[in-house]
Amino acid sequence: MGTTVNGRHGSTTGKETAGGGAGRRPGEHAAPRGGARLTGVRKTYGAGDTEVHALDGVDLELAPGSFTVVLGPSGSGKTTLLNVIGGIEQATAGSIEVAGQEISGRSPVDLAGFRRDHVGFVFQFFNLVPTLTARENVEIIVELTGVGDARRVPDLLAEVGLADRADHFPAQLSGGQQQRVAIARALATDPDLLLADEPTGALDLTTGRQILGALLELHRAGRTVVVVTHNASVAQIADTVVTVVDGKVQSVERNAEPAAAEAVSW
Amino acid sequence: MKISLRKAVRDLARQRTQVTAVGLTVLLGVLMFVAAGGAFRNLSTSYEGTYHRLGFADLLAVGTDPQALADAATSTGAATTRIRTQVEQPMTLSGTRLLGRLIGMPPAGHPAVDDVEVTEGQYLSPDDPDGVLLEKHAAATFGLAPGDTLQVATADGWHTVTVRGVVVSPEYLWPARSRQEVLGDPHSFAVVFASQDQVQAWSGQAPNQALVLLGGASQADVTGALRAAGASDVQTWSDNPSDAALTLDLNGFDTMSKAFPLMFLTAAGVAAYVLLTRRVLSERPTIGTLMAAGARRGRVVWHYVLQGLLIGTTAAVLGTAIGAPLTVLITRVYTTELGIPDTVVTAHPDLTVIGIALGVLVGALGAAVPAVLAARTVPAEAMRNQATLPAPGRWSGVVSRLHRLPVTTRMALRDVVRNPRRTFATMLGSVLGLVLVLASVGMMTSMIAALDTQYGTVQREDASVVVEPGAQDQVAQQVSGLDGVATVESALASQVTVGFDGSTYATSLQGISPDTSMHGFISGGHTIALPSDGVLAGAGLADQLGVAAGDTVTVTDASGRTTDVRLAGLVDEPLGTLLYGTPATVQTLVADPTPVLLVRFDSGLTTAARDGLRGEVTGLDHVLAYTDTRALLTVVDSYLGLFWAFFGVIVALGGVLALAVIQVTMSVNLVERTTELATLRAAGVTVRKAAGVLATENLVAIVAGLPIGLVAGVLAAQGTLGLFGTDMFHLRLSLGWWVLALSALGVVVAAGLSQVPAARAIRRMDVARVVRERVT
Ligand SMILES: Nc1ncnc2c1ncn2[C@@H]1O[C@H](COP(=O)(O)OP(=O)(O)OP(=O)(O)O)[C@@H](O)[C@H]1O
Ligand SMILES: [Mg+2]
Repeated sequence: MGTTVNGRHGSTTGKETAGGGAGRRPGEHAAPRGGARLTGVRKTYGAGDTEVHALDGVDLELAPGSFTVVLGPSGSGKTTLLNVIGGIEQATAGSIEVAGQEISGRSPVDLAGFRRDHVGFVFQFFNLVPTLTARENVEIIVELTGVGDARRVPDLLAEVGLADRADHFPAQLSGGQQQRVAIARALATDPDLLLADEPTGALDLTTGRQILGALLELHRAGRTVVVVTHNASVAQIADTVVTVVDGKVQSVERNAEPAAAEAVSW
Repeated sequence: MKISLRKAVRDLARQRTQVTAVGLTVLLGVLMFVAAGGAFRNLSTSYEGTYHRLGFADLLAVGTDPQALADAATSTGAATTRIRTQVEQPMTLSGTRLLGRLIGMPPAGHPAVDDVEVTEGQYLSPDDPDGVLLEKHAAATFGLAPGDTLQVATADGWHTVTVRGVVVSPEYLWPARSRQEVLGDPHSFAVVFASQDQVQAWSGQAPNQALVLLGGASQADVTGALRAAGASDVQTWSDNPSDAALTLDLNGFDTMSKAFPLMFLTAAGVAAYVLLTRRVLSERPTIGTLMAAGARRGRVVWHYVLQGLLIGTTAAVLGTAIGAPLTVLITRVYTTELGIPDTVVTAHPDLTVIGIALGVLVGALGAAVPAVLAARTVPAEAMRNQATLPAPGRWSGVVSRLHRLPVTTRMALRDVVRNPRRTFATMLGSVLGLVLVLASVGMMTSMIAALDTQYGTVQREDASVVVEPGAQDQVAQQVSGLDGVATVESALASQVTVGFDGSTYATSLQGISPDTSMHGFISGGHTIALPSDGVLAGAGLADQLGVAAGDTVTVTDASGRTTDVRLAGLVDEPLGTLLYGTPATVQTLVADPTPVLLVRFDSGLTTAARDGLRGEVTGLDHVLAYTDTRALLTVVDSYLGLFWAFFGVIVALGGVLALAVIQVTMSVNLVERTTELATLRAAGVTVRKAAGVLATENLVAIVAGLPIGLVAGVLAAQGTLGLFGTDMFHLRLSLGWWVLALSALGVVVAAGLSQVPAARAIRRMDVARVVRERVT
């Protein structure tokens, strides 16, 4: 616990390092979007004897346009952290400001609206609709949220390198391709933040690198990207590395020279 | 064993709503089986109890020499016989003049055949020749009790007699003059039993009927002997209009006790199957683990079958528990309403056993397929943690081309085909719901349409008036002069027996003017004219005698005279099977036909005005009887509220049936797609939109089921009507478009209701937890 670093210490790293990493030319960066500030956030599950403090007083600031990797042992609270930032779980206490909006204490209906406008999620197991093609898996989000533009869907698929697989069904796609469809889907509403929970967890190394490369591309478009992973090697590509242990932020490290996706291995 | 039972119960409790839906459907099926089946048996036994106690004649032979008929029966081995006079005689009861029925009885003591039970007053006495017995329906209609008087027409004018007793007769449990008038004006019919000598004296009619109790004798032999001895007609129990009416009604219970349970139990079985199959699929990894650890297949099968059995057995036990007292209630209400003296209510342990067995069977069958599926789980396959996505089929590709459709619709179209089990079950829900509603409602609307045809097209007179022979023209003039009377037409009527090829049928022969405005003769949808020679007959005669238009039939009148006549054609009439000819034709066939006036009133007459006219007409000299032809319509009108109540109950039952199945498929759909829905919710899709995704798929399956359900429902309605088609009723299916539209709408609304719990489940869904888990 000794090395716990207050999130605020790393607060400005996002912008500073944004132009940094190898292979990233400063000119490519669009205006930074998103960002998040957590103050005294607690998340408690259960009550009494079975009480679990999944988040136990988290203070953390993620700069707009930053690329953050969250590391930590199993059960440390990584997923919970991601979920409260994305507004699919309510914090028990504390304040959470995402993309300039305070989201703690909001109603479920409000939170759905917030997610619609600001957040995109990518899950470990893709969660694609098996009866929809790649294109349709993205389109359905536009159709049901009323946010985004269905005509942009082919571009989104092209951005993740799937222009030629748009009419394939999930069963006809590899795991990495499915995860890229999931990323395109998360982008359908043009979110400010992209939150990915173990996006490479179900993939082999090569495919995993492709996914991380795709996430870096999106980050370059100015979005705030948060990737949760077990894999310390992934931390190389981030400009901010947050380590969570026992529901607390143990450290926040800046990475002056983020590496390219190819550098990652497991 | 104990642990597996506890696990089964816990598993079922977790799916409370769906289990309740399946259970409720089983319960209703078993309940209807027990209640309707039990009522059918109790009523049959009650009727037969009365029949046996009062010696309801096995055979009634009509002929000019009934003693010869009785002797023939006795020498063929019949146990008991009796002869009597039965005659239609004008009467006045409480001021109402009508054509009543006089029946001769032995005054000294109760007869062994066709006895009566005295419910008020006393039986006949030789010391009181003018004391008569009045059948209880007439006593109720006219408010007469022992000590009251009534008048009987005799050759010497009106003769006043005294009611000695009010009686129940096995021949008139349901009061009907003939099979042509099973439903009629209660004020136009009364049965009076009097001493045989007096009946003969008043009417001038010698005995004309022989009554036979067979004992051990063969019915065919005795019938043959009776015909050989000159019987013009031989009637069995089922020819008796009262028994025929009660039997039709009983058949209704019988049909209900089979058709309703069949539908409900099928629905329940399919719902249980869908429910448990889903469970097995989701529990495959666990099953695989257990089997890898050496669990026996039998145990796995048993675990799932046990769940089906628990649902089926519990629901069936409840169903029989509620059904048994309901049986008693139905029986009592019925026998009381009909005035059946014997109410036999017995326990039907076999129905209870069969009812429970049905529930057990449905539970076991519904669970069998999923249970076997579970036992077939290959341990390794189930435990491999890779979700295997099914490859898209051709249909998916076809749907891809429908670019214009919303993505959610395309998804629904594909899911409907990709998951045929669920789609089939959902469709079955709407199909069964529609069949139930259309078959029952079709029965009612057809009945109402039949009345419309009968009284709008076929029988257009408002009243028929029997007058003294020779007075027809005079009375016609007087009646047409009355306020409220529009038209009067002369006609003739007579009871006859039609014979063809060894079979006979007793009916009424009507002599109607060829240019009549009172009667429409419809054949094959067209109006035809009354032929100047030959007779027309109701289409039912074809079934009764095997005749066809062009055949020559025999007509035997009350005096026993038989004449050949050509059957010129068959007409379609909803009520009764009658014979029609011109007055001239009738004169050649029947010795002394009864003169009748057919009267039509001005339109829009109030009931009070009609009753007033009845009083005025029956007050005229030479008028012997009066029948309000449309009394039945008035009765039906008064039951219209009941009609709508029944309609409502049936639609509700159909809704429950559809809902139970759709509810289960819907919730299974919800479970199977939890991850998809959670992913949508995570992306900010509202609860309503997410629920809409589910609803679209269900709606596609339901809408696909609608045409099938409508067609099946119409066929079922037709089949049901067929069961009730006799010479007494010919119902044509009449289902207005509004019935079809409303029924279809009802199913869609039921489906809509099943949305409510689904939407609630989506709202309560823990998105965070679902997306943490991996897809299975
Ligand atoms: N719904 C819940 N109810 C009770 N406890 C929960 C719930 N969800 C998570 N937890 C607990 O909260 C803690 C943090 O869980 P979380 O999923 O955030 O960990 P994680 O760091 O993502 O772990 P992993 O690396 O295994 O995914 C764990 O101890 C977990 O058991
Ligand atoms: Mg996690």
